[in-house]
Amino acid sequence: MPTFDFMPLLWWGLPLAAAPLLIHLINLLRPKRVHWAAMEFLLASQRTYRTQVRLRQLLLLALRTLAVLGIVLALAQPRWRHALGRLLGGGTTAHLVLLDDSYSMGDLTPDPAARAGAGDRAFDRGRRVVERLAAELAAAPQRHKLSVGLFSQGADALLVSGEPASPRLAQRVRDELATVRISAGAVGPGPALAGAAAPTDAAARVVWLVSDFRARDWQADEETAADLRRLSDAGVEIRLVDCGADAEGGATNLTLERLEPAGGIPASGVVVPMEVAVRNDSNRVVRDVPLQLVEDGQPRPGITIGEIPAGGTAVRRFDVRFGAAGSHAIEARLPPDALPADDARATVVDVVSAVDVLVVDGNPRSGRTGDAFYVATALAPGSGAPTGLRPRIEAPAALATLDLAAFDSIWVLDVERLEAAEIAALEAYTRKGGGVVFFCGPRTAAEFVNQRLYRDGAGLFPVPLAGPVDLPTGAAQDAGPDLVAEDHPVVAVLAGQRNPLLDAVRVERVMAIDRGHREPEAGTRRLLSLRTGAALAVERPFGAGIVATVLSSAAPTWNTWARGNPSWVVVMLELESHLARGRRQPPALEVGDDVAVRLEQGADEIDVDFLVPPDGTVVRQNAAADAGGGLDARLTGVAVPGVYAARWRRLDGVERERLFAVNVAPEEGRLERVGRSRLGAALAGVAYRYEPASALQPDAGGLAGLPLARPLLYALFAVLALEQLVAYAAGYHPVSPRPAAARPAV
Amino acid sequence: MTRASRRYLRPEAIARIARLELRAHAVVEGVLAGLHKSPFKGQSVEFLQHREYVRGDDPRRVDWKVWGRQDRLYVKEYEEETNLRLTLLVDASASMDYVPAGGPRTGLGKYDCAATIAASLAWLALSHGDAVGCAIFDDQVRAAVPARTKRSHLTGVVEALEAPRGGRTTAFLPVLRSLAETLPRRGMVIVVSDLLGDRDGIFRGLRSLRQHGHDIALLHVMDDDELDFPFQGPTRFEGLELPEHLACNPRALRAGYLAALEEFLAEVRQRSAAARCDYALVRTGEPVDAALVKFLARRARMAV
Repeated sequence: MPTFDFMPLLWWGLPLAAAPLLIHLINLLRPKRVHWAAMEFLLASQRTYRTQVRLRQLLLLALRTLAVLGIVLALAQPRWRHALGRLLGGGTTAHLVLLDDSYSMGDLTPDPAARAGAGDRAFDRGRRVVERLAAELAAAPQRHKLSVGLFSQGADALLVSGEPASPRLAQRVRDELATVRISAGAVGPGPALAGAAAPTDAAARVVWLVSDFRARDWQADEETAADLRRLSDAGVEIRLVDCGADAEGGATNLTLERLEPAGGIPASGVVVPMEVAVRNDSNRVVRDVPLQLVEDGQPRPGITIGEIPAGGTAVRRFDVRFGAAGSHAIEARLPPDALPADDARATVVDVVSAVDVLVVDGNPRSGRTGDAFYVATALAPGSGAPTGLRPRIEAPAALATLDLAAFDSIWVLDVERLEAAEIAALEAYTRKGGGVVFFCGPRTAAEFVNQRLYRDGAGLFPVPLAGPVDLPTGAAQDAGPDLVAEDHPVVAVLAGQRNPLLDAVRVERVMAIDRGHREPEAGTRRLLSLRTGAALAVERPFGAGIVATVLSSAAPTWNTWARGNPSWVVVMLELESHLARGRRQPPALEVGDDVAVRLEQGADEIDVDFLVPPDGTVVRQNAAADAGGGLDARLTGVAVPGVYAARWRRLDGVERERLFAVNVAPEEGRLERVGRSRLGAALAGVAYRYEPASALQPDAGGLAGLPLARPLLYALFAVLALEQLVAYAAGYHPVSPRPAAARPAV
Repeated sequence: MTRASRRYLRPEAIARIARLELRAHAVVEGVLAGLHKSPFKGQSVEFLQHREYVRGDDPRRVDWKVWGRQDRLYVKEYEEETNLRLTLLVDASASMDYVPAGGPRTGLGKYDCAATIAASLAWLALSHGDAVGCAIFDDQVRAAVPARTKRSHLTGVVEALEAPRGGRTTAFLPVLRSLAETLPRRGMVIVVSDLLGDRDGIFRGLRSLRQHGHDIALLHVMDDDELDFPFQGPTRFEGLELPEHLACNPRALRAGYLAALEEFLAEVRQRSAAARCDYALVRTGEPVDAALVKFLARRARMAV
């Protein structure tokens, strides 16, 4: 449908189209009177040409009306729009410009087509695009409204919101953008686009996405494609402006993908293995990458990664030992590359003086022959080999009375029966991420386990039991070792080639699993098997936690494993780390998340000071009660990566501090660009226009629709020429007399 | 010269015509020869001079007495003497009253143009001693002046041209027939009219005059507007003789009008030739003297 830039002119001018008709009618009412002698010729002409004359008059009238109409329309600056109903919106075009400020826009790869050279980021090119667009819209004769927003802010927090384009607004856009910094987030256009579909009173809408168009954001982002499709279907013109740059040979960027404890027990004085992963996002091998490490703000010996294959990831481990309890920060840094934002990563390890482990023994008074003794000895061998674990041996009744949340893991050893409250407490602990392991033994009653603990798979116990069975001993020499380590992290240290320590274990009796149990369907996973092929140790997730069972005794009652075999200690420590994994995993905070510290009501003051990196700016927050009745102090939507500190004071005056590591999303560091063809496939069904920032032609006039003034002028000229032709043919044009020839002299 | 004479005998026209007589032998001779192209062959002649015979001279005009005396061939030359009787018939019907809006471009309407032509011719004829008569007519003869040779007779002719007109339609046939019956001697008849009317009647009347031995010339007076039809804008045309009117856009009808007019002029020329009438179209926008010179010159060529 056509719309007009100067609609009032149209309304005022349209009646003028009736002028030729009115003039014709007035002339008919007031003709000249001529007393004429040669009437017979005139009457003859009138008889001959009556029809032709009428047609010609009508044609002339129509042409003149068309000419007036054409002039009025041309002055009103018509435009052609493709969607119905835009006429009602007047001539205003609403522009929503969304600038990608995700950290990949910090890519320093120079754009060969751009004028700026080194040091020019994709974000800088995008910012210039927005500034230029604002300036061109201000200079355009049509009416434009401009909104400018950032991917990270969404449509609700626009820098400029629907203001008429003007030079002053263009200056304001420049000023606003000058203060914008690239976020450390990895937000795509989705959140901002979600608000862009809101209806407006504008005649036309244009959504500009100024981004670097990375493959990870666009290639398989169904949500963004759906948003754009919805906008496109609603008649919104979509302009994609690519301000990214393709480096020769592909993007070169190393990303610190991961930095975290790799097992171990975070206790003071205990070695904690750390694992760091560096991803090479280029298409060539990178060698000798120095990795700088920082522990609690102090440099520590770094690592040099010899080689990272193209597109691959190198994982390295290093050990740390924290001397004191509390939060400790470990940071890793790569040398600066094309994208600096993903070259640093931090993690926080909450170190305690000792980790409590609850050991529940069905016969707690069994002393040095009982299950609890062997387990506790394995978990805490003694001061010569500090593990950081502090086993606490209790009777089953303690499950209902103790605060289980204080324990890193719970070991239930050959318990004859548990009360309902004890079972409920165990299940609640596990659902919240705790780890529980059951050992069987002579007191274990299969019927009780199946009915109260397994409950057809709904309960805590991983498998249904059939009852105790003896392992056949006749062909033991030929059948190999009794224990077989499966592919599981707990026994990974023993897996592979035959381990003489494990081979030395003799298993005499086990609790058989019910024959009706099918492991894959039940979601169970084996840790250890018997030489008969039956399972000896299995695990299953339960809620957020994990529950495992060893179908033999912990004490050397049904087997010889705990009797002087070092592998027993190793596997039990690994099992403890595995069970406690869910509780020890530091919160993986990314930019945009909340940094929250949970306070103890009645014990902590509610004022919490958050120290924000990189300069430690203090932001004080008051703790507030959450829906669950807890007390949280929260720093919402953190924008800067790094190590945050939360400091507060207990009511008894003791200072408390907890650290939080906030990192960028490593996936944003993948600089692979989507390219036109893949973008076209991803946005199938979306009408959009894609153009590089360096070749952008905003065409502010054209944005408001296809301008019709020029073709209309051509048509007008044609109509006027035709009118002149018809009028000339119907008119009288006296020939100017030739200059009189000089009379001959007489 | 009376006021009427001054009106129709325009000094500049007469001066130009007279000047032509004086200064251009061809024109003067042409005018006179044209006027004297008559049925008479010049009986009363007066000897003027002898001239040596040249080949081609009529042998009957050889003076044999001279040849007998001198043995040389001379021919006798005589001073030519005319006895032309010119009758001017001027159309004074309503159609001759057309005057362009804003006045005639040359200061003459159709009738004024016709009257000027008639007066000029009368003056020329009288100045050479020819007899001039005049009749003003529409559907009948409204004023008539008998033929006289006295120079003072011009006043009578002009006063007849000035006589009030009735604004009636033209009836050529009865007028021409009655004139054919009443004109006493054969002579020259010049009809000055726009010829708008019954064309059959016109030419039947002219043939009647022709049958009575008159030499006839037809001066067809048409206004420039009638010939060019330059009208623009919605116009209501009301007939001067026909009781009809037409409201139209004249530009749209111009082509058809001019076609019909051309057909009319062609018919008039053809029928004039067929009736052996000398025909000339006179535009009111054209200077009268130029029109007369052109007309008389052509007659002179015809007379040679």
